[in-house]
Amino acid sequence: MRAGSLLLLLVLLALPARAQDALVAALSQDAVEVTTGFTGAQLMVFGSTEAPIGPGGDEVVVVVHGPNRPTVVRRKVPVLGVLWVNGPSARFADVPGFYFVAGTRPAWQLLPEVERHRYGLGLDALPLVSTGARSPAFRAALLELEVLSGLWVEDSQPVEIAGSRLFHVRLPLPAGVPTGDYRVEVLLVRSRQVVARQELAFRVDRVGTADRIASVAEDQPLVYGIACILLAAFAGWFGSVVFRRS
Amino acid sequence: MQVYLPIAEMSVDALLLVGIGFGVGWLSGLFGVGGGFLLTPLLILIGIPAPVAVASGANQTLGASVSGLIAQWRRGTVDARMGTVLLVGGLTGSLLGVQLFALLRRVGQVDLAVSLFYVVVLGTVGGLMVMESVRAILRRRNAMKRKLHEHFWVHGLPLKMRFRKSRLYISVIPPFAIGVGIGVLSAVMGVGGGFMLVPAMIYLLGIPTSVVIGTSLFQVVFVAANVTLLQAIQLGTVDLLLTLLLLLGGVAGAQFGASMGGKLRGEETRALLGMLVLGVALSLLWGLLRPPENLFSSGPAL
Repeated sequence: MRAGSLLLLLVLLALPARAQDALVAALSQDAVEVTTGFTGAQLMVFGSTEAPIGPGGDEVVVVVHGPNRPTVVRRKVPVLGVLWVNGPSARFADVPGFYFVAGTRPAWQLLPEVERHRYGLGLDALPLVSTGARSPAFRAALLELEVLSGLWVEDSQPVEIAGSRLFHVRLPLPAGVPTGDYRVEVLLVRSRQVVARQELAFRVDRVGTADRIASVAEDQPLVYGIACILLAAFAGWFGSVVFRRS
Repeated sequence: MQVYLPIAEMSVDALLLVGIGFGVGWLSGLFGVGGGFLLTPLLILIGIPAPVAVASGANQTLGASVSGLIAQWRRGTVDARMGTVLLVGGLTGSLLGVQLFALLRRVGQVDLAVSLFYVVVLGTVGGLMVMESVRAILRRRNAMKRKLHEHFWVHGLPLKMRFRKSRLYISVIPPFAIGVGIGVLSAVMGVGGGFMLVPAMIYLLGIPTSVVIGTSLFQVVFVAANVTLLQAIQLGTVDLLLTLLLLLGGVAGAQFGASMGGKLRGEETRALLGMLVLGVALSLLWGLLRPPENLFSSGPAL
């Protein structure tokens, strides 16, 4: 990884300095391929600033949103005092399937609360609107479950600074990341204000066998169902011929 | 070796899946049952979502039963007429079962329903098997005579039909009803239902044991195929990769189990199987009664 950072630094130094840009950022790749061997991936968000970053200077915050999906949170209740059954539920319409925020310092230290909520920096600043059960415990439970699954990440690591003008942060995508379009925002903060921002994007796509299986299952469920039946029957028959012991 | 399951949308150790397939296949070969009742709970235990585990379990059962059916068909021990009546019931039942499953999924009670079905069905069947085989082991000492052919109330129903291979002349209503019941269970539990169908055919219908296995396999294969198709179309929860990995281990395990099963005595085998079934039921019951570590769970909204 150190060699990678060094290479990155050289690349960035080689870029012609554009004086008018306070912030230049890029991604190490703009597509993540989910194959049948997919176990997660790491992306690098990196860039450079015009003014020095770090203590006393400018600060950088990186925030990533995955594709939204509706989610239901259910609470278990004891029935007849013994049996645990799913009871009341809250439905959240727009829940980011992936969320990541990191800064040179945590966002709450850098921005006033109003600004921080406007940009959605931090798990508590996510605009999660729910219908159904009213209790705030459902929102708290959703946060806990998503953090536990590794899909929501808040300040797990700071944005690292090299040579006072270069920054980079690793974006950990776990194996369960949803497919779709991801939005990356890089914000430059100076004296408690966002002075520059840049938007980047990448896609997570299933490819190869995994993609073929999933897309056939989705688009032509009848064909897929018949294929499942025939393949299972063939595999069962073929296996019994191969492993016959009598 | 990690493998990404495209429908379950998760990454699982492929060797673990093949191993589970082998273990369940070995036991199913040993005891002569499909093994779906062990497979689905195990899949749920390793974190596969219940709807995917049920649908893929049914798909796996189909594959695991095909070779048995072919072998029985060649031996001429399949009563196709009886099988068809059971099957018509089975198809009806699985159609109803998948609707029930879709409804349960909408209201968020799939996990509860699957567990409850398992606890009730496996608890009953396991208990009966243990009791029956213990009685048989005891009876062996003071050998009692058994009537060759017994008459129950089921033999008095209308719509009678002649089943030549089974040497029976009975109403089609009981086999149809049994088929419906097994079909529903097959759709909700992801099992073939052989472990319930076989005793029902012997004790309720009085079918000779020589054609029971072949005829039940006939029903299991086609009902499992129907469940697979319906789950794929209506819920999109059949994971082909998961099925094939399980089958890879399963068919190998079944052959080893079968060659070993010949050395065990009938009653002891049934007692062991009964205890295994009871054990699965008890562990699932414990899962329902134990206070959950996390009261909250999340899932995709439908």
